[in-house]
Amino acid sequence: MSSSAADPNYTYYEVGSTHDFLERVGRRVIIDEQEIALFKTSDGELYALENKSPGPKGGTLVEGMVSEHILFDPICDWRIRMEDGQVLDPDTGQVKTYPVLLTGEQVHIGIPKNGGESGNG
Amino acid sequence: MTNLDGKKRLVIVGNGMAGINTVEHILKLSPNTYQITVFGSEPYPNYNRIQLSYVLEKSKSIEEIILNDRDWYDAHGIELYTGTHVTAIDTEQKTVEASNGMVVPYDRLVIATGSRPFMLPVPGVDKQGIVGFRDIADCEQMLHAADLYRKAAVIGGGLLGLEAAKGLLKLGMEVTVVHLFRELMERQLDPVASHMLQAELESQGLQFATGKQTAEFLGDERVSGIRFADGTELEAEFVVMAAGIKPNTELAQSAGLAVNRGILVDDYMRTSAPDVYAVGECNEHRGISYGLVAPLFEQGAVLAKHLCDIETPPYEGSVVSTQLKISGVDVFSAGEFMDTEDLAVVRMHDDWRRIYKKVLMRGGRIIGGILVGDGREASRLQQWIRTGAIMTEAIHTAIVGQGAPDTENTVADLADEEIVCGCNGVSKKRIVDAITENGLTTVEEIKSTTSACRSCGGCRPVIEQILQYVLGDQYDSAAAKKETICSCTSLSRDEVVREIKEKGLITSQEVRYALEWNNKEGCSKCRPALNYYLGMIWPAEHVDERDSRFVNERMHANIQKDGTFGVVPRMYGGVTTPEDLRLIADIAVKYNVKMVKVTGGQRLDLLGIKKEDLPNIWKDLGMPSGYAYAKALRTVKTCVGSQFCRFGTKDSITMGVLIEKRFERLDMPAKFKMAVNGCPRNCAESSTKDIGIVGNEGAWELYVGGNGGIKARLAELLCKVKTDEELLEIIAAFIQHYRETGKYLERTSDWIERVGLQSIMDTVVNDLDNRHALVERIELALSQVQEPWNEILDNQNLREKMFDDVRISTTQS
Repeated sequence: MSSSAADPNYTYYEVGSTHDFLERVGRRVIIDEQEIALFKTSDGELYALENKSPGPKGGTLVEGMVSEHILFDPICDWRIRMEDGQVLDPDTGQVKTYPVLLTGEQVHIGIPKNGGESGNG
Repeated sequence: MTNLDGKKRLVIVGNGMAGINTVEHILKLSPNTYQITVFGSEPYPNYNRIQLSYVLEKSKSIEEIILNDRDWYDAHGIELYTGTHVTAIDTEQKTVEASNGMVVPYDRLVIATGSRPFMLPVPGVDKQGIVGFRDIADCEQMLHAADLYRKAAVIGGGLLGLEAAKGLLKLGMEVTVVHLFRELMERQLDPVASHMLQAELESQGLQFATGKQTAEFLGDERVSGIRFADGTELEAEFVVMAAGIKPNTELAQSAGLAVNRGILVDDYMRTSAPDVYAVGECNEHRGISYGLVAPLFEQGAVLAKHLCDIETPPYEGSVVSTQLKISGVDVFSAGEFMDTEDLAVVRMHDDWRRIYKKVLMRGGRIIGGILVGDGREASRLQQWIRTGAIMTEAIHTAIVGQGAPDTENTVADLADEEIVCGCNGVSKKRIVDAITENGLTTVEEIKSTTSACRSCGGCRPVIEQILQYVLGDQYDSAAAKKETICSCTSLSRDEVVREIKEKGLITSQEVRYALEWNNKEGCSKCRPALNYYLGMIWPAEHVDERDSRFVNERMHANIQKDGTFGVVPRMYGGVTTPEDLRLIADIAVKYNVKMVKVTGGQRLDLLGIKKEDLPNIWKDLGMPSGYAYAKALRTVKTCVGSQFCRFGTKDSITMGVLIEKRFERLDMPAKFKMAVNGCPRNCAESSTKDIGIVGNEGAWELYVGGNGGIKARLAELLCKVKTDEELLEIIAAFIQHYRETGKYLERTSDWIERVGLQSIMDTVVNDLDNRHALVERIELALSQVQEPWNEILDNQNLREKMFDDVRISTTQS
């Protein structure tokens, strides 16, 4: 979820302005080797999720459909709560999320400092 | 010989359903060809003879069963002479002479004299109180008799006899049905069905004397009883003869026409005399004189086309089906109905619920069947028989799987851990728990709570039964089974579409607010569906909601399992050029395409393309999108046709290209595939297409509803047309009708099964006004479509946001 306060456990990288992202259409952001799917909801909130489907068939998430703060997985149609990556009933699982920091209109994504093994932001 | 208006003279002898149905067809096909004169011996205009039993039951008045009133005859300039019969035909001079002394010349003559009840040739048959059951006069006699007498007998335990008997019973008479055979309706039912029917009718108060041959009618002037061949007697003050019908052939015979049991006709209803035709119950076609209404309509349709010089397939006989029109008795029979050694049978017999269903197959194809006690599948059974459908799991379930007692037991017997939904691995216990713990009452709720039935939908009937089993008396069948668009709403597709039109809702957000969606932005089910319905209803006003499209349609390319895309450029009719091929090859090399594949639809697919390269490839190609990803017209496959093929009779390529250019890019409920063939060899495989066109000498045949996919289905003939213009018009009307009534994601094969081919024929082929209105609406929609690849190329901003990744390298920042 986007916030205006940086988490000291993360290093933040600028990925563009809020206008570089279409509402409810995901965009892939690649920071070194890490593939992230960034989504902008209709109320202007930004979410960064690991671009990996939690479902049994694998695949990517960035093509999914966004309704409010829920992402519908494009492969298995599971519902993913974007705030924390939690897969909603009746399915189970969790998608890794990254903190998003806003400075004015600039969008920054936080990558964990300890090599990416921190918990969900 | 023509009259002053230049019209030819058409004379119809017989003012019943067969003759007038033929006239109605002629008026539709070619209203100005004929000056029509009709003679009818009854004093009424054309009425629905089938519904005489309703008049007898007093559930309808005579006025209510009139099909064409006198104003109708006037409005169409038809000269009608009621209460007048034709006494002679002169086939040399081409005139008819009527009982009122008129002599009327004809260019074409149609004999539609119908039939009369077969009166048993036994002593006493001419006594008073013995009538047939054939026309309004008979009906009035029966109503009159019911006031005066108590004991009635009906001779004949067939369809008509049983209806007459039930009518008299309702009028308060004591009725005995006398039947020569042991089994009632032995020409439509097997012994099991027949005995069930008899038991049902006995419980309603009818009495039966089966296996009885009538030897004599007793009484003085008026009938008082019947003596049978075995010596027994039955008291009867009133007798209805319903032991079969006899075609009225005397007029034809005296005019020298060839007559056997009926007036002999060929496949175009032609008699042995030039320009003289016979239609309906008075004729005999390939050895059969039909006594039911459906065949005479089929004959009338062929005859009308023939009389209007419109090419038509010959009439080759009818699949006869019978439905008993008695309240409280559901009996249906069609096609072959007796078990024989060479037939396979699917049978369900339940004496407790009094349900019996039987379907007969030859070589796996359905050729006949019987339904007793539950006629819900009657129309579909008839369709399966007509099309020679192959038995499938789905059909089997529809026929024998719905009997509640069976399935209740099945569900009750199912072990807790048994998997009900194989796609999502949901057990019976999980579903039962969800129902009891969360108070669920509908299948849709179970879907969203447990995930069961969310993929293929095959377990839906079982879930319905579990719901019924758990809820018991609380189970509300209609509500539980209602198919809502998704779990965001309690409304069905039709309700939503109606509300959109009535309330003038233009955006999906308006729909969700106005129709009280339980979720502000909808879900992955309703979003694409609403976007489609809105675009279909408001082609000019609705702005496509890109973020409600599935990824392929959003990106205008087919996403592959590794996240790369496939690109298919449009190649109209599957025709390309050396220059285009060279260009495609160069581009494939330039972008390091992983594979070039010829698709099933005669196109080239460039596979393994990176998302960010898509717009560049489109630009380099300079070709329109082939829509291989879309719920729209995918491809029109064509054969070589008359341009090159030695067998081709029609230019299938030119027609295919024309059709593809005309209908491309238009959104539809689901993907849509077409094919055009230059001859009946059908090299472009029309029978598995949504619309398959087959060229013949002088005509195009249009087949619809084929599917070569998950649920294979052969296309059925919609119509045959002569001109290219009419072909394009009917295609346009068919597509628009599908767009307007199909459920989102419903292929034409399922749509046709749901709404019925006949209703589609009526809407897009027979009803010209409707057809033109549909064409007008599709034209409007077509005027709004845009080439999607160019749209993206012209919009640099959109292109970047949709197709380019954001790449950050941490070592440089």
